[in-house]
Amino acid sequence: MSRRLAGLGIGIAFGVVLSWSGMTSPTVIRQALLFESAYLFLFFASAVAVATAGLWLVRRLRVRALLTGEPIRWPDQPLQRRHITGSILFGIGWGIADACPGPIATQLGQGITWGLWTLAGVVIGVYAFLRLRGVETEPATERWTGPPASGVAIDRRLAR
Amino acid sequence: MLHPQMPWYAAGPVLGLCVVACRLLLNGRLGITGGFSEVVGRLRARSLDFDWRGWLLIGLIVGAAGYALAAGGPDFHGYGWLTAALRGSDRALIAPILLVAGVLIGYGSKLAGGCTSGNGLSGTAMLSRASLAATATFFATGIAVSFITRAIA
Repeated sequence: MSRRLAGLGIGIAFGVVLSWSGMTSPTVIRQALLFESAYLFLFFASAVAVATAGLWLVRRLRVRALLTGEPIRWPDQPLQRRHITGSILFGIGWGIADACPGPIATQLGQGITWGLWTLAGVVIGVYAFLRLRGVETEPATERWTGPPASGVAIDRRLAR
Repeated sequence: MLHPQMPWYAAGPVLGLCVVACRLLLNGRLGITGGFSEVVGRLRARSLDFDWRGWLLIGLIVGAAGYALAAGGPDFHGYGWLTAALRGSDRALIAPILLVAGVLIGYGSKLAGGCTSGNGLSGTAMLSRASLAATATFFATGIAVSFITRAIA
């Protein structure tokens, strides 16, 4: 229960910031991708800088995760071809719709009806992937099992 | 944008702290594609028993709805370059274009193991080589597609 509440709370903070920073607006995203505005790059770089410093500190402190009690660590994800091909497909969609999964969700929250089409596409794309490949690629729920990293098994199943 | 924009030096760090909170509380990697995957996967199994990733996605929608209520409406009207470029009878093209773009976004980010949040933000902060390569790839592709569509439209 507390884990779900934590997810909900972090999601609310994320949704408010994505909205307030204008990331929900396709015009703002397009201005960034056409190098007409530096906002997105400054925003993204400062987020990565704080996250990198914070993760370094959290790992360095060697504490256990406060809600799950697990030791805080993560496996290194080896680079595979799917990371590149997947990101090319994603980048094409992103450059056309000027929204990635986060803003697609905040468009829904703000009641942007055009975004329902993109949302439907994402659901179809994710559903198709889960059905065709039948594997979870997201390391969001990664469990440290020690080397070899779980990515090896994923890679073998994705190679089919 | 119709509403005032939060300064980047405040918005960016809060987003970064969300990534740290996910790790410190749950030992998890913050990623919105993971949330979509969790919700779609559970619904496919006829279950509503979402884990924290599903609730992260729900929180995102709730946060955006709260923002729109507080700000007095959504942040924009129309849909960016698509509603500006496609007028009259061409308007009917926007829905299928967005649908196909959505499929590419959903399938592509699942294949890549993350989108702008999972690979771009969290994975980069984890110094993951796969995420760094993925981030460089989707930024380069998104930029190229934007310039190409501007030349066409």
